[in-house]
Amino acid sequence: MIKRFIVLLFLLGLGLVFAGLLSGYSADNELNLTGRYYAEHTAQDIGAANIVTAIIVTYRGLDTLGEVTVLFLTATIVAVLLGRGVAQKGKSLQRDLPKSGELLTTGSFLLVPLILLLGAYVFINGHLTPGGGFQGGAIVASAILLMLLTDPLRHFSHRLISIIESISGLFFLGIGVLGIFLAGGFLDNRIFPIGEFGSLFSAGAIPVIYSLIGLKVGAEFSSMLVNFSETEGS
Amino acid sequence: MVNAIFILVIGLGAAFLLGFLRDKRKLAYVVTLAALVSMAWIAARWLLFFAVDGGARTEIFTAGTLPPFAINLHLGIAEAALMLLVILCGLFSAIYMQNTLMRLGRRMMSVLLVFVMSLCGIILTRDVFNLFVFFELAVIATAGLILLCEDKRTFAAGFKYLIISQIVSILLLVGIIFAYHASGSLNIDDMAAMSSGTLKGVGSLAFFLMLMAIMTEAKPFPANGWALDIYESAHPAFSALFSAAMAGAAAVYAIDKLLLIGASQWLPVVTAIGLLSFVAANLLALVQTNDRRTLGYSSVGQVGLILVVIGQRDILGEHYLYIVGGILLSHAVAKAGLYWLSGLLSQRKLTDWSALRGHPLLIFAFVSFVAMLTGLPPFPSFYAKWDLVMLLAAENRLWILALILIATLLEAGYLFRWFGYIIKREKETDKQILSLASHKLAVVLSTAVISWGLAYLWGELSAHGNLLYALPLLFALSFLLLDQLPARIKNSLSIAGMVAYFMVSYPTYDPLQLIFGAIFLLGSSVILLASYHVSGRRVGFYPSALLMFAGLTLLIVAKDAFHFFAAWEFLTIGSYFLILRGKHSEPHALSYVIFSLGGAFLILAGFALAAQGISPFPLESLAQVAKPIAPWVFLLLAIGFMTKTAVIGLHIWLPGAHAEAETDVSPMVSGILLKAGLFGLMVLLMNMGKQSLYGVELTYVMLWMGALSAFLGNLMAVFQEDAKRLLAYSSIGQMGYALFGLALMNQLGWLMALMFVINHYIYKSMLFLSIGGIAKRTGTRDMYKMGGLIALMPLSFIAVLIGIIAVSGVPPLSGFGGRWIFYNAILESEYRLPMMLIFISGPIAFLYLFRLIHTIFLGQLKDEHRQIKEAPFWILLPQMIYVVALMIFAVVPGLAMRHVDAYLSPFFEGQGLNWEGFTITSHYGYWSPVSIMIVVAVIFATLFAWLLFVNRKAQKVKQFNIVYSAERPFRPETTHFAWNFFAPYRKALGFLMQPYVTRFWETMMDLLHSIADLSRRFYTGNGQTYGIQLLAFVVIVYLFKMEF
Amino acid sequence: MVYVAMVTGFILILMGLYGALTNSNILRMIVAFSVANTGVNIVLVAVGYIDGRTAPILDAAVPVAEAAVRIIDPVPQALVLTAIVIGLGVTTLMLAYAYKLYEIKGTLDIAQFSELKW
Repeated sequence: MIKRFIVLLFLLGLGLVFAGLLSGYSADNELNLTGRYYAEHTAQDIGAANIVTAIIVTYRGLDTLGEVTVLFLTATIVAVLLGRGVAQKGKSLQRDLPKSGELLTTGSFLLVPLILLLGAYVFINGHLTPGGGFQGGAIVASAILLMLLTDPLRHFSHRLISIIESISGLFFLGIGVLGIFLAGGFLDNRIFPIGEFGSLFSAGAIPVIYSLIGLKVGAEFSSMLVNFSETEGS
Repeated sequence: MVNAIFILVIGLGAAFLLGFLRDKRKLAYVVTLAALVSMAWIAARWLLFFAVDGGARTEIFTAGTLPPFAINLHLGIAEAALMLLVILCGLFSAIYMQNTLMRLGRRMMSVLLVFVMSLCGIILTRDVFNLFVFFELAVIATAGLILLCEDKRTFAAGFKYLIISQIVSILLLVGIIFAYHASGSLNIDDMAAMSSGTLKGVGSLAFFLMLMAIMTEAKPFPANGWALDIYESAHPAFSALFSAAMAGAAAVYAIDKLLLIGASQWLPVVTAIGLLSFVAANLLALVQTNDRRTLGYSSVGQVGLILVVIGQRDILGEHYLYIVGGILLSHAVAKAGLYWLSGLLSQRKLTDWSALRGHPLLIFAFVSFVAMLTGLPPFPSFYAKWDLVMLLAAENRLWILALILIATLLEAGYLFRWFGYIIKREKETDKQILSLASHKLAVVLSTAVISWGLAYLWGELSAHGNLLYALPLLFALSFLLLDQLPARIKNSLSIAGMVAYFMVSYPTYDPLQLIFGAIFLLGSSVILLASYHVSGRRVGFYPSALLMFAGLTLLIVAKDAFHFFAAWEFLTIGSYFLILRGKHSEPHALSYVIFSLGGAFLILAGFALAAQGISPFPLESLAQVAKPIAPWVFLLLAIGFMTKTAVIGLHIWLPGAHAEAETDVSPMVSGILLKAGLFGLMVLLMNMGKQSLYGVELTYVMLWMGALSAFLGNLMAVFQEDAKRLLAYSSIGQMGYALFGLALMNQLGWLMALMFVINHYIYKSMLFLSIGGIAKRTGTRDMYKMGGLIALMPLSFIAVLIGIIAVSGVPPLSGFGGRWIFYNAILESEYRLPMMLIFISGPIAFLYLFRLIHTIFLGQLKDEHRQIKEAPFWILLPQMIYVVALMIFAVVPGLAMRHVDAYLSPFFEGQGLNWEGFTITSHYGYWSPVSIMIVVAVIFATLFAWLLFVNRKAQKVKQFNIVYSAERPFRPETTHFAWNFFAPYRKALGFLMQPYVTRFWETMMDLLHSIADLSRRFYTGNGQTYGIQLLAFVVIVYLFKMEF
Repeated sequence: MVYVAMVTGFILILMGLYGALTNSNILRMIVAFSVANTGVNIVLVAVGYIDGRTAPILDAAVPVAEAAVRIIDPVPQALVLTAIVIGLGVTTLMLAYAYKLYEIKGTLDIAQFSELKW
């Protein structure tokens, strides 16, 4: 009880800070310097219709690289953490799991390819439409989730997942480095021609990078899901 | 030059690449090492470029767009150095963890690589959001690397850390987005440029949130329970990284960057948090028993100190990098080294470290690291701390200065206690605690080498010159390399070196320096003759002894405050190691080093106060210190020096330290080391003269302290049963005389004090040697267990007899000369009351001196001592030299004293003595040593002859032959009782003997320990509580800093 | 509009923190932190919002020339994406840790995991 009271008291203090932020906040009517720059320059400099994508993949590409690495790291650590002590392979079946229903099984047959396709579409078109590598990757992983729901003991090749992860990561880095030599700096997308604004093959390396991110994110999410699901029944 | 972004690219690329090497662990390990090496190489190249070629800082743009629209990285000398530190730390840890990494496979290696890479990112980036991303990477990687350890408790520690990092990222993100709103940019330099206008209201609050979030990563007290749990349970190689690279380098550098935005108004906040951490962490560390947790506390403290320096950067100016770098690198190298060292041991108690004994290299590494942490010369932290303290004093930020010094003393306390455990605690032989894998050993030892390399580097960069160039110091250090030689060879080398050094340098000494120099160099050579009696290698003795002598030698030639203080620290540390060598000296050596360092810090504070930023500050400038601060300077310096002379009240370290030391060490620390304090006092008094504080004349207070020391020191000596303790207490009394003489502030008083310097050296060394020799033969130091040794040890008897004649100040020996000058001096001054005390202490001295002769040499020989022999030749030799020296000095004191007298004349007006031929004249009379000697010799010869004549028919009777009483005992009966010899006096004066002072200091220590023990319960171990504490920390800082 | 979102966000943060710091069940703590993270994300996007403007995607509705006056600030949008992903990473990790902690002790009470202290 005292603990709750103390926590409330301190949260009240934090609330004061937030109240200070709120009361001092005045919503902008105009874009600020940075926002205006992006609004005005993205189209001709980067060639991406989705400004957010341009920011994520190019202007703040280093953040995104870090972000991808966060997922990579998480997937790796989850694998270490859950792989540790979860004993021997094949021994995981210790209790009978209820059978998944007919509806789920058949439904997943139908849906998985579609979901994968949608995922691919979302990350390939990241520079044109709302969407991108992370969203697409998450969609791809949801297909894996669906398959796991259908058959929790299904085995996925860790090796394949980790190779996809590594290859896409390395290519991402490689394209970034090419930017240093062929364009204006690390992760500059203009190593390829910017192309025609608004078309699929435009915005330089952005579609490539975003696809790699999509693959990588998909692989990482899948890896986490698979690792979690392998703890099932142990 | 390779683009520095490749540091990030290589780290990340290698981490991704490891994904292919699923089953090829060896190859994966090689890739990891290769990546780290190439990252280190790039960082090193850049560092050289900035440091040697003087290159300008460079900007690295990404995405082909200028900041603030794209993320940019900055690379300057600070960044390059910190990255090199981080990467090397990672590399060393990777080598160190070879087996663990091979066992856990490529995944852990890639986590390690990402960790190192993200720390480099934190250092390089100039974008706040990017900073957040790299911090999150580091956090997540930490949660992964925690798993390196087998300990099951680490899981809990990792989870606690994740709780904290959730709260941190909430604060940070809210802060970042509002800072972005306020400034329209995410770039740190941009924000800094516009900060004056934006840092009000929202902007300021946003900055506050960002600062608090990043600050948490530096683990400030009290929001750091989680960090301590990690330090305790994680793999030591990771703790090394976590402490040295993440908290100690990346996080503090991020704070430093962030403060560009916050500007000066936030510096006090950082200072306050840093100070709180530094003091509290070191206090709590006092009661720790687990080695890694202790190191964790020390780490929190050191990072706190770095924060203080960062918070004080407004006054550090161009010295900022030098100071913060010195402290930061010292902490990083030392702490990482200690953590790596801890990995060699399988047991976690501090006392288990005694397993290191017998491995001089490891002990050397440990000592280097501890010295680095506590800021002892010649390490970078020493130079940095000196400059820091000077600047703080110049700006009158005395509270900060005082707290820093107090916390440093606390830290030194537990670190040296730990060192005492290593050297002195029982080794558990049945358990194999130490495991020496060669790669781990290589890591630890190369870290030790790096620590010395940094010491050299910081010396080169120092405005005061490199301490490592001092010849005596090099001489002492070279004995580290020679330590494998037999002791006798090293002894010859030391004596030769010291005598040669004296011969070369004495022409440059003035008379005062000459007296001290002769004692420090020649005097110690004579004592070293006694060291020939030890055979074997005597590992560690010579480096320590010579370090002490080097400090003493450098002390007398020091021209400015910096060198004086450095020499002071050298002699303190050297003597501490020497004292610690005694069989039962662990607690005494500890109290010695704590008192000495405490005194040293007072001296440091005094100098800093006096210098007011002038650098270098010549010692003569003490005379020009202006009025309001002058008495305070005087007070600080005087107390500092009087700690060394063991004035009453600050004396409790002395008896144990001197009595428990080895046979040849006791005379060194008593006969020689105590003089350093007197030298300091002379320098002080000569330059500052009389000072008064609140109407109290400080020299008058000193006079009283001298008198009280003389009186109480002698009185306590009277009641000792242990002969060496008796001599030790007698030293307190003797130093009291000398202090009294100096405080008289007239020429005769000074002359007498110098006379005491020489006399005390001779007779105290002689007595300690003879008592030491006797104790060696009898196996005890308790006098009542001896008796009748006169026949078995005649030479020792002569030495003691001559010694006590000299001490007691009766004719004809030089002690009388001292007294004579002394009484003259007293008659010239008007302080009658303390004079009475001094007069009384003379006869008291007789009481204990008498015991030395009576109880040890006279009376009945104890049964078990019938077979013992005279003391070893090498212990006797110096005694005989002293006997001769005493005789000579008694006959012709003018040899030395007239020069000194002449030298002193300019300081005091016309009160000198008149030296004519063999006669010395004062206002009150004259003293002719030669005629006194002749008179005494004639009387002695006459009496002796008469005695021989009277006893010519005497018959020699064995001890138990009591035929004349018609009774013959069957077993030897003890008829010579000497225990509690002065019981009647004890009854009368016992109330003066109550150990008030000891009790006072013990209570202080208990109090500190109790506070620490109570307050550490604050870290309940519950992750949720830690979260609440973090929240409370943020809110409380907010409430303190309300004016947004 | 902006204020509503922002207040909601802040309230979610405070609620989440309250839940995380008072519930002793580890899973509940994790859920509570997710709530707080959501609050942060709402605050993030709220800051960049400008009344009456549209998403920063250039298409027929938002011609390039008028972009600067038609779109909301794209930066917070980009940041929030990163923040979401990172939050997700940390949450995953906490879940994995929770699993291990449960495996060790058979309990999810955070107070039980306090061998390391003082």
